[in-house]
Amino acid sequence: MGKRYAMLIDLRKCVGCHACTVACKSENNVPLGVFRSWVEEQEKGKFPNVSRLRLPRLCNQCENPPCVKVCPVKATYPLQDGEIIVNYDRCIGCGFCISACPYDARFINQERRTAEKCTYCNDRLAAGLQPACVNTCVSGARVFGDINDPNSEISKLIASKPTTVSKPELNTRPQTYYIGADEKALRPNLLEIIESGILEKAGGEK
Amino acid sequence: MTTVNFFSINREIYWGLFIALYFFYTGMSAGSFILTSLGGVFGIEKYKKIAKTGVILAIVLLAFAPVHLIIHLAQPGRFLTLLYRINLTSPMSWGVYLLLLYPLVLIIYAWFLFRQDMVRGLDKGGFKASVYRFLLFGKTDMSEAAKENDRKKQKLFGTVGVPLALLVHGYTGFILGVVEARAIWYTPLMPFIFLMSAMVSGTGLFAIVLLLVEKFKFGKINEDIKLLIADIANLMKWFIFADAILMIVYFITLWYSGETSYAAAYYFLYKETGSFLGIEIGVGLLLPFIIVFSKKGRQSITAVVIASIMTIIGVLFMRINFVVGGQRIPLTNGQIPEFAVPGWEVGAIVAIAAAAVAVLAFIYSIMPMNRPGVEEKTAKTNSNAKEVAR
Repeated sequence: MGKRYAMLIDLRKCVGCHACTVACKSENNVPLGVFRSWVEEQEKGKFPNVSRLRLPRLCNQCENPPCVKVCPVKATYPLQDGEIIVNYDRCIGCGFCISACPYDARFINQERRTAEKCTYCNDRLAAGLQPACVNTCVSGARVFGDINDPNSEISKLIASKPTTVSKPELNTRPQTYYIGADEKALRPNLLEIIESGILEKAGGEK
Repeated sequence: MTTVNFFSINREIYWGLFIALYFFYTGMSAGSFILTSLGGVFGIEKYKKIAKTGVILAIVLLAFAPVHLIIHLAQPGRFLTLLYRINLTSPMSWGVYLLLLYPLVLIIYAWFLFRQDMVRGLDKGGFKASVYRFLLFGKTDMSEAAKENDRKKQKLFGTVGVPLALLVHGYTGFILGVVEARAIWYTPLMPFIFLMSAMVSGTGLFAIVLLLVEKFKFGKINEDIKLLIADIANLMKWFIFADAILMIVYFITLWYSGETSYAAAYYFLYKETGSFLGIEIGVGLLLPFIIVFSKKGRQSITAVVIASIMTIIGVLFMRINFVVGGQRIPLTNGQIPEFAVPGWEVGAIVAIAAAAVAVLAFIYSIMPMNRPGVEEKTAKTNSNAKEVAR
């Protein structure tokens, strides 16, 4: 059996420093305003009973990726190790993958003028390094490895701890696992957005 | 338990007006072709006389529709890649070949439709005759056998054209319909909703274009065309009815579905009230339905034209609401993405529309639009009329 790379993020250790966001931007030369990897933050509850929810997000490198299915020119495809890459010489920039991704992981790089996303720092992997966000994480919250190897750190953690993924109901079989993720953080709180009228405040009118 | 989002990223709505306008153009092309093929293909005699007007409209609209897509690409120069690198699981890939095949069949169909009239136009001389001579490729045979062959080929290519028209617009429904991430798009009804709104807007546009062509080519609107317009308005009534039923069924089930579907329905009904309920449903479906519901409304040319314009506006808003509105519902936590239309996009859309109108006007003015019983108004017939008057 070959390798199957995946990432596990232990939110009990995440301090919300956004160092992963910065490391990713700098490593992959991501233009201003768009992100391959970012951290969403929310506040839950009312004072004095409040807590802070953090959810680092990146491409889930799905096993059943909707973006690969809809690409009209086969410019995006999974590698043998499981990471999904974009062939920048093939991409025509139609945006179908951006519309189809349930995790907002894709965007158009306006400088290269193609679709782009996290590739687990594919070039670093080839050089035997860890992805930049894993490498830089101050608290060691990010664990990256091969889930086909039962003795890897990530396999041991997934086997022994309760983990969750974002939107499992979509059958995308996402490969970013979270320990301690709040249900409210894993998907948008649409009903709450409606009830509290955040939609209007955020410019809901056209 | 309340939560407050206070850090996330801004997302861009990447599929904007260009995509909506593309759906709008292909829809009207398919709609007007299906309507005008009722004569030749389904044997409804009175629709035979408008087949020529309809097929030209369908071809020109379809020729301009993909221009929106190509401009919208981040790498417009790479659009040819679509032809040779095919992904069978991508509806966009299916569309590439439909968008080539459909106009090709329509052009062959149109050629057989126009052939005899072009041959008759040859002896008139001038620019038109030289265009006809070029288009005929030397096929000037006017024997009974050749005419019979024309009829057979019209029937054949028209019959192939109808399912192609259904597919060329049905597939655009799948472009949205296969995206599971977006609740408002992800429904098996989407191709049918798209097809029904295509019939509504195609009928509307065709009624207007038919009146204009009759007016400019023959100088007047004949009784038989007036009757036909009333008939088209009657069909429009049923298309609007079917479209509205699909919408109602869809929104009832959305309301009782999961969180994302409910939120999408809520967003459309309460946050996009003006453009969804107001323009798309009110102006686009309800008011025209009221107009064409009464026999009096159907028989008045003015009323039918007003109803037609309203359906076209309504369907345009439907395309924009579904394409853009579908992307405004957040997928991850954070704010609703802003939708801004850059000025150059509006300029490009207006320019494409103007070019389409110019090309349509040119083709209509140059092609022989004669139909049984009505002769084209030419310098010769005008002078004849003058002599008669004297």
